[in-house]
Amino acid sequence: MKLDAQIPAGPIEKKWDSHKFNLKLVNPNNRRKYDVLIVGSGLAGASAAASLGELGYNVKVFTLHDSPRRAHSIAAQGGINAAKNYTNDGDSVWRLFHDTVKGGDYRAREANVYRLAQISNQIIDHCAAIGVPFGRDYSGLLANRSFGGAQVSRTFYTRGQTGQQLLLGAYSAMMRQVAAGTVTVLPRREMVDVVVKNGQARGLTVRNLLTGELESHSGHAVLLCTGGYANVFYLSTNAATCNVSAAWAAYKRGAGFANPCFTQIHPTCIPRSGEHQSKLTLMSESLRNDGRIWVPKAKGDKRPANDIPEAERDYFLERRYPAFGNLVPRDIASRAAKTVVDTGFGTGPTGQSVYLDFRDSIKRKGIENIRGEYGNLFDMYYQITDENGYKAPMRIYPAPHYTMGGLWVDYNLMTTVPGLFAMGEANFSDHGANRLGASALMQGLADGFFIAPSTVSGYLAAGKFEAVSSGDKEFTDSSRQVQERINRLLSVKGKKTPSELHRQLGNVMWNDVGMGRTEATLKKALKKIPEIREEFWNNIAVSGADKDFNQTLEKAMKVADFMEFAELFVKDALERKESCGGHFREESCTPEGEAKRDDAGFSHAAVWEYQGEGKEAALHKEALSFEHIKMAERSYK
Amino acid sequence: MTKSKHFCVIVRVWRQAGPQEPGRMVSHKVQDVSPDMSFLEMLDILNDDLLKKGETPIAFESDCREGICGCCGLVVNGDVHGPDEHSTVCQLHMRRFKDGDVITVEPWRVKSFPVLKDLVVDRSSFDRLIAAGGFISVNTGAAQDANAIPIEKDKAEEAMDAAACIGCGACVVSCPNGAAMLFVGAKISQLALLPQGGPERAARALNMVQAMDKEGFGNCTNEYECEAVCPKDVKVANIARMNREFLLANLFSKR
Amino acid sequence: MDITFLKRLATTSIGRKALMAVSGLLLGGFMLVHLAENLLLFKGEAAYNGWVDLLASNPVTPLLEIGLLLIFIAHIITGVWVRVEDFLNAPSGYEARNWQGGRTIGSATMLYTAAAVLSYLTYHMLTFRFVDHSMGFYQMVTGAFRSRAFVVVYIAGSAALALHLSHGMQSAFQTLGLNHPKYTPLIKIGGILVAVLMTGFALISVYYLLGIDLKAAEAGYQVVIIR
Repeated sequence: MKLDAQIPAGPIEKKWDSHKFNLKLVNPNNRRKYDVLIVGSGLAGASAAASLGELGYNVKVFTLHDSPRRAHSIAAQGGINAAKNYTNDGDSVWRLFHDTVKGGDYRAREANVYRLAQISNQIIDHCAAIGVPFGRDYSGLLANRSFGGAQVSRTFYTRGQTGQQLLLGAYSAMMRQVAAGTVTVLPRREMVDVVVKNGQARGLTVRNLLTGELESHSGHAVLLCTGGYANVFYLSTNAATCNVSAAWAAYKRGAGFANPCFTQIHPTCIPRSGEHQSKLTLMSESLRNDGRIWVPKAKGDKRPANDIPEAERDYFLERRYPAFGNLVPRDIASRAAKTVVDTGFGTGPTGQSVYLDFRDSIKRKGIENIRGEYGNLFDMYYQITDENGYKAPMRIYPAPHYTMGGLWVDYNLMTTVPGLFAMGEANFSDHGANRLGASALMQGLADGFFIAPSTVSGYLAAGKFEAVSSGDKEFTDSSRQVQERINRLLSVKGKKTPSELHRQLGNVMWNDVGMGRTEATLKKALKKIPEIREEFWNNIAVSGADKDFNQTLEKAMKVADFMEFAELFVKDALERKESCGGHFREESCTPEGEAKRDDAGFSHAAVWEYQGEGKEAALHKEALSFEHIKMAERSYK
Repeated sequence: MTKSKHFCVIVRVWRQAGPQEPGRMVSHKVQDVSPDMSFLEMLDILNDDLLKKGETPIAFESDCREGICGCCGLVVNGDVHGPDEHSTVCQLHMRRFKDGDVITVEPWRVKSFPVLKDLVVDRSSFDRLIAAGGFISVNTGAAQDANAIPIEKDKAEEAMDAAACIGCGACVVSCPNGAAMLFVGAKISQLALLPQGGPERAARALNMVQAMDKEGFGNCTNEYECEAVCPKDVKVANIARMNREFLLANLFSKR
Repeated sequence: MDITFLKRLATTSIGRKALMAVSGLLLGGFMLVHLAENLLLFKGEAAYNGWVDLLASNPVTPLLEIGLLLIFIAHIITGVWVRVEDFLNAPSGYEARNWQGGRTIGSATMLYTAAAVLSYLTYHMLTFRFVDHSMGFYQMVTGAFRSRAFVVVYIAGSAALALHLSHGMQSAFQTLGLNHPKYTPLIKIGGILVAVLMTGFALISVYYLLGIDLKAAEAGYQVVIIR
């Protein structure tokens, strides 16, 4: 596998512009002759479909939901970053670039991140123009708030529903193209394989979830906008259908998988309440702007929170990180919470949570203002826990939330398979080892609205394409292989449900590969995962028919992929002996217990290549060089 | 925070094998229900039980389980999205029920949302409504600076109130006439309130309303059941605004 | 000539409802005028008959009557059309289904109150409009009001009308797009007020049924309400 990042030459500020100029174009009249297949309709998928449709390509969008508007981008709450500097607090493209590289703990590609920061401003302009009702000041101009890991206010928002509004904006832009006839949406279709012919991605095998039929679709380029794989932990803030299957299928067809172990554990989630728990709910980290995080100073202090006097509270983030306080980046906040819980200071009935307290800000700002800013989050908390966050501190605990790792892509967002692109959370490119708050929405839309139209066009214009049809051997082979796997799942007729086995896998992942990882736990996980996988294939219960609407089968197919993927995840974590960003190797830390990077050994993206079933994946490295940002210890003290 | 006792409920649920198949209500006992469990987690447990017994689990839709994706939607004991006000059924928790309760669970029964299987219905008509005009026609890259058009804060907030719609379809289901007025009204309102939506205002109102009629949604008799159940508390004032937009467009635009 | 807009008015859900709302508001206005006319009964036979004669001799009156009839027909057609569609479209087949807070008795019974009002109206026309008026209008009306059976029907009719308007008046404003946080609460109160006023028809008839006018005359009082 050759990893050529295709980073354009020239000064970093000019790279994207000169690259766009150098990319070939497709004549407007010829565009409709190109079929572009997009998998996923979240921010990246919907915006790519909209922008490519606007150009006149013939776009097909596949979503496993009943409607493209359901994609999990919808659940992002807090906001979207842009370097507008509307608040005059010293922000700039350079600073956003700098913060993102630093926030990612120097494990992202500089050129990609700089482009992201550049495009950030256009995203806000475009989204305002297509009717996203951003929050505004009394002046009528756009409002901003600050977010974890930044010292400027650069986050644009629509209440606590920014992901929803941006997704609906992208969705509406895509539906406009549906009306115009350039985009066709195929809902309730799950991608099960990428079809590669003559070394190019030329199509997809998808399962029609209503009928169970396998369908072949051919095209000139394939865009995977299929999100992240945090559900490998079973409990995460992701939606139930979030999966690794699409990326995993691409990996098995030759796409390199980069940094699978880079996972973000989000600090402000509602703690789990029992075994039955099917998902964890995140509350926007904007809560950390006004909420103070603490635990009792005494171990095992079981008094109600309000009875614990000020002097006996440990505001551990403010204590350890005086400069950023409660606004340290997510990985640091999460780990700090884990540390206090692991050492016995945790709160609540399970001891697995810390307090997030609004007492002081309610005193300072008044309850009405707090309600105005965070009311929906307090309501959500009440609905789930039956506890009133205005009267007593809320309880929070970290949960897997976002995956920085993903399919390796070059500067064009193309994977190692020509014609196969990966965008949004599905790729690995911009966030390094840790993503800053309000940057996921920015990246998804940057990829779809602004990068895809140039780079996908460039690929189509330069490429040579043989005629393909769904009757070709590659297509029929793909369908046959998928069908065999489905038959195998149905034939086991075992005793354990997909959820049970998924939970088993998730427990291993969370306990041994979660917020803190050691060589010992990782090796333990590497032993346990194949055992669970074996149990899966010997004892999975899937009822019902294949050619039917069969949700159990859908779930089992996803879990089967997690079972394989988890092993690669752990291998990657084991291989990366340093601590960086969301990846914390307990062996690699400073005397104060902070994460310690090893730039000499690990300043690279680890890219894994599939070698065939039962064979060890091969590791390749894309060296990362930092010419514009000086690598330093990431300090938020 | 008290550790509450687990209990047992009877779920009477609609089973229907396919769109053309007849359906019926079937009762299942669910044991070991925790009050902290969500309603859908209770159904998960039931489904796992059914699966272990070799039976077909109950098909129902949900995804984010935090009330924003709009996937879930059930009629629980006769209530659209269950008994809690302004919330989705995924946010309903079992602490609302007690030991021995019989809970009826039915799919959304409206002509425009045909049942596909068990509790899953087809809401694709909503996408067609948006394609009929629920957008602003600005091509990517064509926009001016976002602050070039100031928008009165109250207006922006009102647009956001309308935009909060999650497209779950509860408004249609709760409506005695199966109307989609709140859904369409919310979108027309959002884009009519924002100056960016101005140029297409008349066309949008005319096209979306006619598309809505074509899809076979019912008429509005202003009973406001939709507002009462809407998980995002979208107001019927949006329906009035749609009516106004439509009538003005019909009488005074050139279309 | 492009008459698409007229077609849209008649065939779209919102257009039809708007026609229904406008016709409903006009009919509501007519009912208020009618109530005022009825109050003239209190002023005595001469005043009442004088007003009716004035109306009858006015050449514009038949035109107004035709207009009123057309408005009625428009209201009925649009109403029935909307309701038939809704009936066919209504969600059905639930084992359990509750209304969750929007519905009122008035809104739930619009079709029934409409049918009741229409039946009552037919009876009213047969009793007062298409009969021999030679005895004089005042005698005819008060005479009818002294019949217990008639008053029972009359009370039922006005009650149905009141219920119909309790939903209909504010609903018409909403349908025409007139909803504003400042004015809608007032409109709702106004709608209820108009509905309550409709019971005035019943009260007047009861007044005559109980013979209060006769007793008052015996006692030497003259009821003067309108000067």
